[in-house]
Amino acid sequence: MSWADASYSLEELIFKGVKRALHASKTCIDAVDSVVLAAHDLVDGRSLSSMVTAPAAGAYLRDEIRLAEDGLVALSLAGARVAAGESELSIVAAWGRASEGDFLSQSRAAMDPFLVQPFGLTEADISAFRLSRWLGAHGPQDEARVRAAEMRLVRARQNPRAIDTSAPLLPLNAPLRVDEAPRCADIVVAALVGSRESACHISGIGHGTDATLVGDRDWLERPALRTAVEQALGEARLSLKDLDLFEIDGMTLADEALALEAIGLAEPGDGFGLYARSDRINPSGGSAAGWCYPAMGLVRFAECLLRLDAGGKRGVAVGSSPIGDQTQTAVVLEVA
Amino acid sequence: MNADPELITIPGRWDFEYRYFAGATASRFFAEIRDNRRIMGTRCAKSGRVLVPARSFSDAEYELTTDWVETGPGGVLEVFTIVGTKFSGLPDPPFVLGYVTLDGADTAILNYISGVDLTDLDVAARILMTRPRVSAVFKEAREGRITDFHFKVEQK
Amino acid sequence: MKEEVAIIGVGQTQYRRQHSNLNTAELVRQAATAALEDAGLGLDAIGLIVGGVAPDALAGINHLDMHAISRPGIPYFRVNTGGATGSSALLAALSWIHAGRCKAVLVVTVERMGHASSAQKIFNSIFDPIYEKDISMSTISMVALRATLLMQQYGYTLEHWAGLAARNSASSMLNDTLENPRFFTAEDVLKSRFLAWPIHALEACPTSEGACAVVVTAKSLVGSRKAAWILGARGLSDTYAIGDRLHRPEGSLVDLVTLRRSAEAAYRDAGITNPREALDVVEIQAPFASSEAMAYPALGFCDEHDCVSFTENAIEQKAGIAINPSGGPQASNPVSATALIRIAECAQQVRGLAGRRQVDGVRKAIATGQGGATQFSTAVIVGNQQP
Repeated sequence: MSWADASYSLEELIFKGVKRALHASKTCIDAVDSVVLAAHDLVDGRSLSSMVTAPAAGAYLRDEIRLAEDGLVALSLAGARVAAGESELSIVAAWGRASEGDFLSQSRAAMDPFLVQPFGLTEADISAFRLSRWLGAHGPQDEARVRAAEMRLVRARQNPRAIDTSAPLLPLNAPLRVDEAPRCADIVVAALVGSRESACHISGIGHGTDATLVGDRDWLERPALRTAVEQALGEARLSLKDLDLFEIDGMTLADEALALEAIGLAEPGDGFGLYARSDRINPSGGSAAGWCYPAMGLVRFAECLLRLDAGGKRGVAVGSSPIGDQTQTAVVLEVA
Repeated sequence: MNADPELITIPGRWDFEYRYFAGATASRFFAEIRDNRRIMGTRCAKSGRVLVPARSFSDAEYELTTDWVETGPGGVLEVFTIVGTKFSGLPDPPFVLGYVTLDGADTAILNYISGVDLTDLDVAARILMTRPRVSAVFKEAREGRITDFHFKVEQK
Repeated sequence: MKEEVAIIGVGQTQYRRQHSNLNTAELVRQAATAALEDAGLGLDAIGLIVGGVAPDALAGINHLDMHAISRPGIPYFRVNTGGATGSSALLAALSWIHAGRCKAVLVVTVERMGHASSAQKIFNSIFDPIYEKDISMSTISMVALRATLLMQQYGYTLEHWAGLAARNSASSMLNDTLENPRFFTAEDVLKSRFLAWPIHALEACPTSEGACAVVVTAKSLVGSRKAAWILGARGLSDTYAIGDRLHRPEGSLVDLVTLRRSAEAAYRDAGITNPREALDVVEIQAPFASSEAMAYPALGFCDEHDCVSFTENAIEQKAGIAINPSGGPQASNPVSATALIRIAECAQQVRGLAGRRQVDGVRKAIATGQGGATQFSTAVIVGNQQP
């Protein structure tokens, strides 16, 4: 992660990130036979992003596909390709460079032009709506919220991969607070997915999709999230209590904390409380450690993997898509 | 309810601001053009190819490039097109675009091409089709952009 | 051993300049419903929806697919590989089924470029903003650069481009998915103005909106349905840098290295050694005549020595293989959908359901996909016999 480092172009950041993943995996580009990318045209300010960026991610004369999705979906597709025998070793990479563009104006352009755009709504406002719904149901719970925000900042400070505090926070509207905001970052994240024996393996993947119109959704139940996690756990033949680690993507602290209630880890109303109490939940510091669509699901996966290496056996990473987490992806990973 | 209502269209603008970071390598490439009127390439040590415009890595070899090499200012016009129609947001036609392999380079660089009479496009195309020699012409007021120079067809 | 996979449902809307009477979700629904009906399956049988929308800017709505394609309760994601989006989306669907994640996938692509008032301005913004965007590149000039190289290298003339465009135009008159097919002759093409030499205005594809959907299933769901079996499906990416492809040993700018290698791999999958004999129909994702000619040798229909004479036969419909019976992308090129339309057209040909544009006795057909800076290539072969 970095912020507005003018010494690198976007392609150079991507090259550096993917090279580092190859190096960390003790492999070289010649061993790679496919590439799955997650990148978004508007974030990248290149109207067909992968045309310019895919070669920087190792796609030269390789089988490559780009999703306009969260990075964890790319990981899932790469997993499918490996499982199908179509690929032996696949680069999965996702990125977003918040410092080059203006996320909130891009987000406004994602809203329905007839019904929603006139009000200037952004992803941040959807997060605020969700929190307001929760506050309506459970009351202010100020102590837990403040404590969760403090703990999150502590964890982000301890995360060696986190963006430093010179990067700006995304501005939020009430009832969200400044210390619940994501810290903007330029992020490239890459992983290698292959069929050969490895210390870490993916044992379950789940996908969920919510209603199209935000107004049709249950703000707190979040069926997309719930389905994704349940499916991933089901495939891994595990339950929530078997997991040592949860890395959950949410744009704001509220999204992260309330997700714990939706997946059934926290009691209703105790999302912030559990977030503050448990060091197994977003030990990376979540979006306070750096945030940029569409890299975050893969960042959560990488954090989960690196922390499992250091201790713990099983973890889950959750990624989410735009328009208020309309689709969600969960990946269970286990270390031997 | 009217079964056949008047169809509504709502005007929109798709306008987002960016600041593209050129990075250290492209910045040096542009500075050489601005300050020294030189078009530089970078060498891929693994393949030996000199890449122009300069890049910090070769996507084919997937390795960092190493040393800097001066190329041109002369070269060969490899491929071209003469834009003949006005498109919103693009310059007034006619104008010529082409890729030029500069002397000493192994890859070609895109820029505008001048020095050919465009009164009759077919006649102009016949001349450009011969892969003519071209030479870089630098602007007086340079700002460190790719448009600080263009290529002019050399008269035989 | 992977389970065999087939296309058992195809749905297409009409392709027209603007669908001002339908919102995007309604447009998608038309195609998706038709594909599901054709397949005889309900949405409840679908284990994944793959969406295809290429540049968001063309529709002027960011994440258009989230509004229009994604359905609650069904896993969903979107592919974007430019002009190859539709075929890349199909490849992703195949991976999902081959991995055993589900039995049936609905692939839906939709193009809403009628919203854009300045498509070429948007297409300029796909180019590298540091070295190339300022030189006014557009998709048309990108194609024109290759066309001039083909003319230099192999001796193609303006008449060849006009002839191919006219043949595609003539074929398109039989394509009932096109609302307003345009009929013109080679002379008409040559008389039209130059967009960018050597590309004449009539050679360029019109702005088209529309949606295309296909249902792909594992063999166990095919039953007695009319199926287009997937015999081979491959893709490959190239460098962005056009200038890097002029002097490289793997093949030049006009050699379409990625399409050649994709096709070769797909032929191996399908057990095809002589493509010109084995294939009855080809649908080429070529928005311009020169792009189509460039694909012939890459697909193994001819080599560099006889590519011009092959093209002349292709203009006369005497190439021994039916080329673009739909009229191809020159007749209609809804960017996000176009590569899936090529596959859908091939599927309908081998299923014998292509209506007025049906070619007699089609057993095998190949569809190409092409996106980015002629950079993302795919080759998909379908057949009427289970492999």
